[in-house]
Amino acid sequence: MNIDHHQSFQRMIDESLAGAISAEKEQSLREHLSTCAPCQEYLSASNRVIAGLSGFSFEVNPSLNARVLATLRLQAEGGHRVPGGDTGTMRQHHMPFKNWAAFAAALSMSFVGSRLMYQMAERLAAPTHFVSAQVQAGVLVFWLLPSLCAALCLLAAPGGNRGIA
Amino acid sequence: MESETQRIALGLRQRDVAVLEALVEQYQYRLVRYLVSLLGRRDGVDDFVQETWLRVLERGGSYDGQSRFEPWLFRVARNIALDAMRKRPMFSLDSNEVDGVHSSPASIEPSPYTIAARTQDAERLAHSLQTLEPVYREALVLRFQEDLSLQEISVIVGAPVSTVASRIYRGLATLRPHFEGETA
Repeated sequence: MNIDHHQSFQRMIDESLAGAISAEKEQSLREHLSTCAPCQEYLSASNRVIAGLSGFSFEVNPSLNARVLATLRLQAEGGHRVPGGDTGTMRQHHMPFKNWAAFAAALSMSFVGSRLMYQMAERLAAPTHFVSAQVQAGVLVFWLLPSLCAALCLLAAPGGNRGIA
Repeated sequence: MESETQRIALGLRQRDVAVLEALVEQYQYRLVRYLVSLLGRRDGVDDFVQETWLRVLERGGSYDGQSRFEPWLFRVARNIALDAMRKRPMFSLDSNEVDGVHSSPASIEPSPYTIAARTQDAERLAHSLQTLEPVYREALVLRFQEDLSLQEISVIVGAPVSTVASRIYRGLATLRPHFEGETA
């Protein structure tokens, strides 16, 4: 028997171990193995590898289960991460209430304040020698836009228990 | 009668803590073992395990119960580990980077395989497993330790079945010389 012939059956052994062989090829392989010592040795060495892979036993940190379960319970009940218990890659979907409150306050301030400043524009225009439109543009640039930006920053800013991912 | 996988899927949709606790008890060891094999190291694995279970809680609704739970769990764990490694690129598991990337970070500590070897055959494989390219090690572990099918592994690693099979063949070819020329 030539080398190519053995290689073709040894390839079938690999396929059989991987679970990628047809029933027909499997039958052919069995028949070949019953008479071929080199291929039997190839199968034996492969089986030793597989047995070796099963010979590892990793220790699980005894406190890991308790830590995971405590975190899961807390997360399931309150929707919050355990402080100090995250890995820096955790994801938090719930926006803390204080962030929403700060955002709403900043947004209200920006509109209410802008409205008041707009109404005062004419009064401010006279003593400062600016026309009313210039004062209104100033209000827009120096009050409304910064306060809107501040509100959006508050919305995007991480809360005390928000992750970065 | 509802199957086990459907029961799990329902529990995850309802964020049922009792179901999660049972899953943690049942799959924790296998999850640790898979992540050690994926990363080639022991440190940091516990954090990935915790993150995986939190992700299961948050996104458990996407498990449909039509297939086994463990491939879905391993895929979640793999995505988390890969995301973390992309942020801290010590080495990569991407299939298109296999040839150009070191398999493991240099370390003076004994490898997790050396520590975990419980049989003579395992001891002989420990060093080679540690230096084996992660994608081959992962394929071998999923097939022969976790007893998953090629299709299930294909879903986990996001590669075609033929690619997974090739990785298994190459992994076996790398480790087989340890036992060649001997009678079993």
